[in-house]
Amino acid sequence: MINRALLPAGGGENMLHCTDMTVLERQRARIKWQQEQQQQQFQLQQQEISYFTELADVFHQAGFHEGGLSEVVTRSVKPDPGLVDNGWNNDHVVGYGVGLPYNNGLGFELNYGAISRTSSCPPEAVAAVAAATVKGSESVVSDKISSGAGRESSKKRKVDKIQNNSKVVAEEDTRDKRIKGCAEQGESKITEKNNNKNSRNNNTNKNNNSNKENSDETSKDNSKVSEVQKPDYIHVRARRGQATDSHSLAERVRREKISERMKYLQDLVPGCDKITGKAGMLDEIINYVQSLQRQVEFLSMKLAAANPRLDFNVDNLFAKEQAFPACSINFPTIGMSSDMTNPAYLQFNPAQQQLLACCGLDMGIDPPDMALKRTTSAPVSIPETFLDSSCFTQTHPPPTWDADLQNLYNVAFDQGRQTSFQTQPFTGSIEASNLKMEM
Amino acid sequence: MRAPRSVLKQQFLKKWMMGLQVFGSAKQSMSILERKKAIKLSADIALAATRDGRTCWSRAIIADASKDDGGKVLVQHLLSPESERLKKACTGLVMDNKRVRCKKILKRSCCIKRIRKGASKVALAKSISKRIVKRRTQVLKSLVPGGEFMDDISLIEETLDYMVSLRAQVDVMRRSLAKATEVVNGK
Repeated sequence: MINRALLPAGGGENMLHCTDMTVLERQRARIKWQQEQQQQQFQLQQQEISYFTELADVFHQAGFHEGGLSEVVTRSVKPDPGLVDNGWNNDHVVGYGVGLPYNNGLGFELNYGAISRTSSCPPEAVAAVAAATVKGSESVVSDKISSGAGRESSKKRKVDKIQNNSKVVAEEDTRDKRIKGCAEQGESKITEKNNNKNSRNNNTNKNNNSNKENSDETSKDNSKVSEVQKPDYIHVRARRGQATDSHSLAERVRREKISERMKYLQDLVPGCDKITGKAGMLDEIINYVQSLQRQVEFLSMKLAAANPRLDFNVDNLFAKEQAFPACSINFPTIGMSSDMTNPAYLQFNPAQQQLLACCGLDMGIDPPDMALKRTTSAPVSIPETFLDSSCFTQTHPPPTWDADLQNLYNVAFDQGRQTSFQTQPFTGSIEASNLKMEM
Repeated sequence: MRAPRSVLKQQFLKKWMMGLQVFGSAKQSMSILERKKAIKLSADIALAATRDGRTCWSRAIIADASKDDGGKVLVQHLLSPESERLKKACTGLVMDNKRVRCKKILKRSCCIKRIRKGASKVALAKSISKRIVKRRTQVLKSLVPGGEFMDDISLIEETLDYMVSLRAQVDVMRRSLAKATEVVNGK
């Protein structure tokens, strides 16, 4: 694929050297990909069934049994106050109007529904597996799992993303797993510190809560996810060979917090899996937020043009309720990239004339609208969302789990080239959009 | 059962429609720009209202909107079912500004010394990258509503939340646009 050669190694500056030709090529490739998307849905449906059976086998091999899984399920449905009490997480998790427990139960049900519709696996086993993935409760299951916990969580994440119908459950779960993953990492870090002989115990009194604290608590309670009190301060040990005064320790804690948050952002912002370092990440984030804000402006302008009297009928509400389950993750990113790569689209959409005076981005809106109509009129099908979420995962998996995810993909599909084909135009267009933004 | 994301979207949509109805009843004919402003304003306030004042950026949006009359009406319309303390929380944002400014002056006076000491290449590169990061953080702060009042860590958290809500907003708006154009074309 052309785009693979043109993908910059990282950093926004590299993209400035790409020529317009490549942008055009990318656009054409993306159009082709969009068309092929439709064709491949059916193919993927077949593969999905085989994938699920394989995944079930994998989990069975790992030593799960039905009883253990059901235990996990019941425990996972219980609310997790440890994570909810965490100050920051509370804001975001509850802010979605639901919170973790709801999410878990929901994910469980969604997965159950999804699987029963498409696969021939015994629903209980796979649903239990799926629920286990949703919760990501490595700590709950036995010790033999904890060694391969990273691997497991990546698999679970994979299953998660495939099965979920809605973007937010995937995102929520990625973030939840991030939290769990970070809790895990934090725990391992702290145990590592404890093993160092040249370390001194420094207590820094702080009033904020952090993931490390929770990981301290949760690592102790390996048997169940229990309540976590909010301690008043964090125990921080100096690592071997590092300064031990409180200033540098505090600085290090702060830096780690920032990098943790940056990882979450990396999941959210498309096309950021290749970028390491604060500066590049910040750049991407800025571009993305700017593009989103511009989209809002543009859309509101278009809406103003479409409605001469600001009368939106209430049918919208009910239509949305049906349409939302079918909403795919592709839309925002496709729309964004098409908006930004407008000049290329001028060739493909010569028809549209309205609003050309007001905003030059007019043409860009049509392909996403078409895509929107195509998919909203299509029946709500799992392959579609599977496809979308698979594209999404291809571009946004966290860097640490890349290898595992890739392995899984290669296991699931006959050739990895299918998914990689989908990714390249995708990331290519996103890179192009960033390119446009910089220019 | 609905996914949390579509719950957010539906909440947003409802509030947005509520806000637009305020405008619908107000004037008969508005220019396209005025309409666009009305749409955008009600969308932004609706988006902020879905957060119920838990995030800084939502409070900042509401605080800004309450400053002028048109926004005030919207805010009262959208938020009056909910708590009064929310509105008070939003108005209190202005006071933080002074504190932040003092912090900045202090930091700047310390930083000048550090930069001059960095003679080696590594230290130079470090200082350059730090400057780049700082500049970009400034830009990000200007982008995220209410960002100037936050420290780095909470800035990133706010950005996360803001991005997610923006995405939901864009999605809802795009769908309603599609619906609207469908209706128009159908006629």
